[in-house]
Parts: sequence; structure tokens; C-alpha cells
Amino acid sequence: MLKVRNLRKEFSTVLAVDDVSFEVRRGEVFGLLGPNGAGKTTTIRMVLNILQADGGEITYDDRHFGDHTRDIVGYLPEERGLYKKSKLLDTILYFAGLRGMHHGKAKAEAYRWLKRFALLEHAGRKVEELSKGNQQKVQFITAVIHDPVLVVLDEPFSGLDPVNQILLKNILLELKQQGKAVIFSTHQMDQAEKLSDTLCLINRGRVVLGGTVRDVKKSYGKNSLHVEFDGDGAFMENLPGVQRAIMYENSAELELGPSVKPRELLPLLNAKVELRKFELLEPSLNSIFILVVGGAGESTPGKTEEVTV
Amino acid sequence: MNKMLAVARWEYLEKVKTKAFIIGLFLTPGLMIAMSVLPTLFISQEDKESKVVGVIDRSGELAFTFAQRMQERYRLSNGLSNYVIRPLAMEPGMDLEKEIADASAKAAADEIEGFCIVRGTSLADSVVEYRSKAVGDFRIAIRIEEVLKGIIAEKRIASRGLDPRLVNELAVRLDVKMVKLSKAGEREEAGFERVFFSAYLFMMALFLMIVTSGQMLVRSVIEEKSNRIVEVLVSSCSPTELMAGKVIGLSGLAFTQIGFWGLIGIAVSLQFGITIIEAGPALLLMVYFILGYLFYAAVFIGAGSPLTTEQEAQQVTSYLVMILIVPIVLAFPAMKSPDATWLKVLTYIPFLTPTMMALRIPIQMPSAWEIVATMALMLVSIFAAMVAAGRIFRIAVLSTGKSPKLAEIIRWVITG
Repeated sequence: MLKVRNLRKEFSTVLAVDDVSFEVRRGEVFGLLGPNGAGKTTTIRMVLNILQADGGEITYDDRHFGDHTRDIVGYLPEERGLYKKSKLLDTILYFAGLRGMHHGKAKAEAYRWLKRFALLEHAGRKVEELSKGNQQKVQFITAVIHDPVLVVLDEPFSGLDPVNQILLKNILLELKQQGKAVIFSTHQMDQAEKLSDTLCLINRGRVVLGGTVRDVKKSYGKNSLHVEFDGDGAFMENLPGVQRAIMYENSAELELGPSVKPRELLPLLNAKVELRKFELLEPSLNSIFILVVGGAGESTPGKTEEVTV
Repeated sequence: MNKMLAVARWEYLEKVKTKAFIIGLFLTPGLMIAMSVLPTLFISQEDKESKVVGVIDRSGELAFTFAQRMQERYRLSNGLSNYVIRPLAMEPGMDLEKEIADASAKAAADEIEGFCIVRGTSLADSVVEYRSKAVGDFRIAIRIEEVLKGIIAEKRIASRGLDPRLVNELAVRLDVKMVKLSKAGEREEAGFERVFFSAYLFMMALFLMIVTSGQMLVRSVIEEKSNRIVEVLVSSCSPTELMAGKVIGLSGLAFTQIGFWGLIGIAVSLQFGITIIEAGPALLLMVYFILGYLFYAAVFIGAGSPLTTEQEAQQVTSYLVMILIVPIVLAFPAMKSPDATWLKVLTYIPFLTPTMMALRIPIQMPSAWEIVATMALMLVSIFAAMVAAGRIFRIAVLSTGKSPKLAEIIRWVITG
């Protein structure tokens, strides 16, 4: 569906996007990952022809962006915004009309989506009277109402409560099953891990990792010890054989040296904390992220723990 | 094309429903009627009760006759004298400064409305002063002047041994009536006020229409930029469609406004039997309104789309308002000399053409070639302004943060 090759964008002196290439197929959820300021949004804007690329090529089914493309893409920008004084239904119908959707069909679809998001009773209210989360849902509707082939969502989960995050996640999986290509950007690795089929990790404008989630994880080996516990786990970083420790509130991910046997660590851990889980797994995307980006990312311990779905 | 209409429809329907628009629809003609009618109402209003006017007369010859004539000539609706004249001091040897101070105190205490001072001891040097807290009441001054003039004239004639009654017999009463000649040389009963009023009315209407919808245009662009709606908009339609849609939508809004005001105008003139303007010039004015509106729509987009905050928008709008206000300031001199060269020269500056024409058409219909030339000029200007605005809009609509420098904007226009 979408092919991006050697994309480049310069802002006065900063190279915001440098030689970025990736591909998104139909029926695939593509995670565009990276810390803040990595160039995710700039890349998305170029994909949607909002920004002009300084170099490289973007094609949709081997065609360049044009009028035919405008109606088959849907977009949820990172910075949310709607017309505050306008009514919900009017707003949705306007954006649907801008995507070339027929009025009657748009109305039926708008009701269907509003119902799904439990917003039907607010259809006649002004946008500004809604909560932030509800406004975001309305904006999401405007991104998908016209049944686009390519759905681009910039940080779709930020600002949603856990219940609505699940709702959104299910909808994304549905879109995938319907054969749409979904791009979403995030810096929350657990979301990316659960949702995406393929991913692309960008840092400082360059692709540092790419491919299917499985391949990416495999390439980082299977020597990551996931523990959950009660008590103070600060000592774990200094245990023999632990190369790196990523600490969360009540859990930790310990990267072990090549010859270290997990069972040697068990008594050491048991002596100091109450263990609830002790498991050898592939590294999580989060730990890979921190490893690759060098901790420069925003994904701080604790934040990743917010949601467990 | 469809998307452009979708944008136009949205801009029109969303703005037409706003309180600001609906209030403006009624408030503006209300204010204009109030502004033009109320002052004349106040001025021509008769006094309700007698006013006491003091007189300090060093000549000693005037006060009594003056009192008598003022009280007889001007009466209230209930038959009482409009003015009660109270002689305060009449001896040539009086202490003038002290008398003036006393009279001033009385006026300050509202005992008397005001007082006249005749400083001269003889009527040869007749300077008369009228002092009052309300100097704005020019009717009283005119009446005092008229009565005193008569008395002094009579006394002078009498001093030459003639019959004072001659004054009344020989005085000529003359009113110069203003008659406006229309193109065909036909007489047209149009008072100065009416021509001035209608010229003013059309300029104000055009001015208000351009400013209000221009501001709306800029504000909607800034809103879309600041909440990034514009990203969604330009990913769904081209910037050209977006801009054209906005211009069309807001034009619809402006013409709704003008149409409504026009209806009010027709209703008012039918009601009171006044023709503000004939159908021919009205249609011509309509054309200039549309041309002027479209030109300024482009100017507002070009000037407004690079801005990022409301404050900047207000600043830029106020500059444009200053340009628009020039013909309004010139209304008076234009009335005096509608053929002046400078007036014609100013008409050929596209920024001023529509308002200058709105000023000139009711006063004196410009010649046919002038009308053709200015319309052609406006069409060319609109085309150029739209192209330039489109080039600016395309780039500026996506720029956030700091507003670009003027040099940068000019480069966008040139390089396209």
C-alpha cells in the first residue's frame, strides 16, 4: 500500500528526517516508534502531503500523492483540535464531506460511530462541552468515517483512559482485519508491542530498527529475566551477571550476561524481596527501545506500567 | 470543486449561526440609524421650560428693548416666553469685572441659564458676549444675535435721523436652497444632508462589511492553525480549494449582511418616503461592493494567513482599517468639490477604489469611462491579489510558531 523510500526533511539547520524508508501493507498495523522529537510526526506529515519532503519518494500503490489519495487516507493528528463552537455531528459530517463522502452515507456512518463510542446522546452538543477524552474520540471518528484504506494515527492512545484504550485497540485490530493499512506512532512501547505487526524505530531522524516485531525481538536474544516482586528492588542492578536492569515500580527486566544461569540469581533475589514472578523471556520492546535510544526516550519507568491489558 | 463547496458551506453555516453575526446584522443598521437620526432629534428639540438669561449692559440702551423682544418673539408650546431676560447691571459706570463675577456665580448656581455682556458704552463698538455653561446650545446664541442685530440696526438708523421701521422694510430674507443637478441636468431636490448622508451610509456599509468578514476570515485561519485542524484540512483537500472555499463562504456571509441591510434600507425609505439612492446607482454600487469585497478578501488572507496569534491579527486588521477609513475622512472635502483631481487620482488606487466610488457615486455620478476603467482595474487587482494570497496561504497555513518576516512572505509571492 504505502512505500516510503529515503525520505529526507531539513528544517533550517536541523535534519529532522534523514533517509527514512519503510513499507506498510494492507491488513497490517505498523508502529512508528521513537522518543519525542525523533521525527515521527514530521514523517507522518510528509506521508500525508502536509509537508513537502526535501528528498526521497512516497508512493501509494505505486502512485504519488494526488487527489485520488486524499480520499483514501484518514488522519488523526498528534495535537488534537476541533472547531470548539460547532456541533458534534456537524463537525463529523464536514470532515466526511471533505474526504469526498456522500452526505447521506456520512450521516449513517456518523451515527454508527457515535453509537459505538457512546456519544450518540451528545450528537447535537457543541464540541467544547465535551470532555477531552470524548473530543478525542470525535476526532478519531473523523479520521476513519470515510472508510480509508490508509489510517494514520499520531499518538492515538495519549489522553485516553484504560477502558477507551481497549476500545481503540479493538477498533485498530478490526481495521486491520478489514484489510486496511494502519500506521500509528507512539512512544509507549507496550502499546506498540501488543498492536503492531511491523515497526520502525526512529531516533534523531534516522531508522535505528525496523521489521516485524518478532524479528526485532529475536535479534536481541532470549536472555531477559522478567521479575515481579514486593519490596525494594534497587539492589538488582548490582547483582553479578546482570548487565543492565530496567526498574519499574514493582517489577524489573534484567538483561543477563551470555553465560549467566537464571537459577543462580533466584536465591539472591529471594533473599531480599518477595518474588511473585520469575520468567526468562525475549526482551520487551521497551528494553530494546531504551537500549537503542540510550535512555534518551521519554519512556520512564512507571509510565509503561500504567496500563496492563 | 465539491470540496471547495463543502468548505464554503461549512464556513457560511457555522458563521451565520454565531451570536456575533446575528447581533451585527441588527446592531449595525440600528447604530447607523441612531447615529444619523438622534443628533438631529436632539438639536431640533424645543425647550420645555423658560430659560432665564441675564444681561450686563454698559451702554444702558439695549437691555430693556432686548428683554422685551426676546420674551415676545420666542415662546414655548404652552404660550409662555421661552426666555426670561433679567437685566443685571445697566450703568456705564459699573464695576464690570465684579458684575461678571456675580453673574458667573449665578450661572454656576443655575439661577440663570447664561448672560450677555455688552462691553461698549456706546453702540459704535458693539461686541456682545454670551456666557453660559452650555455653550453647545447654539440656537440661543443665534436668537440673541438676531434680536440684538435688529435693535442695534434700528438705533443706528435712528441716530442718522431715519425711521427705525425701515429696518424691517428693507431687510431681505433669503434662504439659499441647495439643488443637486443630476446627469441629465434635471433638477433633483436633494439637500446637502441627504447626499452627504447617503454617501456616508454606503461607505460605512462597505467598510463594515469588509472589516467584519475580513476579521472572520483571518480568525478562522488562525484558529485552524493553532489547533492544527489545518493539518487534517490540507490532507483532505488542496490549499487552493480550502482558500477558495473560505472566500466563497465568507462572501456569502457578507452578501447576506448587505442584502439584509438593503432590505432594511428599502423598508425605512418606503416608510418615511425618502429615497436614499435610485436603482441605477444602487446597482452600480452593488458591483463595486462585490469587487471591493473580493479584493479585500484576498488581501485579508494574504496578510492574515502568516499570522499565528489573535493579537497580531488585530494589529494587521487595524492597518487595513486605516486604509479603508481614508475615503470616509475625505467625505467632506469630496462633497465640496466632487470634480477635484485628487479625488479622481485616489479612485485609481485599488485599496481605495470601492470606497471612493461609494463616496463619489451618490454625490456626482462619475463618467462612464471612469466606471469602466475602475472596474477593469479592480478585476485585474482581484486576480493579482488572489494569486498572491494563494501563494502565501499555501505555505503560511502550515507554519506555526513565529510569524514569518515580510521579506520571506514577499519571496513566497514571487517564487510561487
